[in-house]
Amino acid sequence: MSDGYTILTLDEVETASHRDSNLIPIRHALGFQPAGVNAWIADSGGQLIPPHEEDSGNEELYVVVRGRAMFTVGEQTADAPAGAFVFVPPEVYRTATAEEDGTIVFAVGGTVGEAFNAGGWDSFALADSYRQAGRHDEGRAIMEQLIAERPDYWATIYNAGCFEALAGNADAAFEHLRRAKELDAEGHSAQYFREDSDLDPIRDDPRFQELLG
Amino acid sequence: MNITHIDELDRIEMPDGFAWRPVRKHFGIQAFGANAYTPGANGRVIEEHTERILLHEEMYLVLRGRVRFTVGDEEHELGQGQLVFLRDPSIRRGAVALTDDAAVLAIGGKPGEPHEISAWEYTFAASPDLRAGRYDEARRLLREGLEAKPGSPPILYDLACVEALAGETDTALQLLNESIAKNESFREYAQTDEDFASIRDDPRFPHT
Repeated sequence: MSDGYTILTLDEVETASHRDSNLIPIRHALGFQPAGVNAWIADSGGQLIPPHEEDSGNEELYVVVRGRAMFTVGEQTADAPAGAFVFVPPEVYRTATAEEDGTIVFAVGGTVGEAFNAGGWDSFALADSYRQAGRHDEGRAIMEQLIAERPDYWATIYNAGCFEALAGNADAAFEHLRRAKELDAEGHSAQYFREDSDLDPIRDDPRFQELLG
Repeated sequence: MNITHIDELDRIEMPDGFAWRPVRKHFGIQAFGANAYTPGANGRVIEEHTERILLHEEMYLVLRGRVRFTVGDEEHELGQGQLVFLRDPSIRRGAVALTDDAAVLAIGGKPGEPHEISAWEYTFAASPDLRAGRYDEARRLLREGLEAKPGSPPILYDLACVEALAGETDTALQLLNESIAKNESFREYAQTDEDFASIRDDPRFPHT
């Protein structure tokens, strides 16, 4: 295998659990840059795509690679066999569940008129899966890599804070969270500090009050 | 719901022997490039090419059947649910079908830049009409491309082919020279392109 290309078998990639679904973190595995690319895998009756809407301007295309899926888009449902493409415009509710074991749905997303900029939610999902499995060092390595790629992006550093809070490292958590608050010029983090259950393990620590202030 | 099966997408047979199944165009996607391919007349699925000009990163995912990819000097047989990701745009890549039902999805774009519809989507779309001598329709599709991508050298070049075949010598020469002025590599293509047989003896033809 050369440095210039990579071959990947979707069902051999280690999955990450993300909002009751199993994510195949393709973008993270490859470092693909032009668009967000990932896949979801589930057995019959299992959730493939976590129910969500995308922000304004975010287009997503889903393709059933194997098996069969039941899609819900807006208020409509449709049976989608292998080879079916489903396009979902921004701000429209979507979810899908598997109707056969081993169903795989591939997903591509991007923002109209903007260069793709990975927010890293998929990498975070993998890091968090590692944490839940007790593989803290592997998870932390992913968070460190994400921060190195975008050192001034508050949300990644906030997620690193969540990671450490849940991993039981309060000191490291507060360090990340203070930095996230500092970088978050628009104050988006305030609501997360108040409501995010990921921070429950450190909420009673006296240092937490500084974050709310 | 906006749902379409691969077999319901348009099937545009290309001269190199593969069939283009436009996905981005079908759904009107603007945020990223997405296209599918199935075997054409000679069993090819992905044309042999590099991304040296567009500098796109590309990913090819096998949706169905079996496909043999040639990547640089290596060959890889891939089946459903396997993909090849090419981060290096200079690597030569292509694929042939090993089974008749083969289907491949291609996702690509230039890292760090917003998606732009590639000129080839317009030249591919016009190709069957051009080959079949439906010059009015080919001209219409290419003019539509020029409106979307003003001054695009490959579109100007293909429009020159249409005009040369349609006997519009003056227009053909003007378009051909315009494409070469913008991208010198078209001068070389023009020397052996059969579409220009009728205008090659004209003193205005851009010889090397």
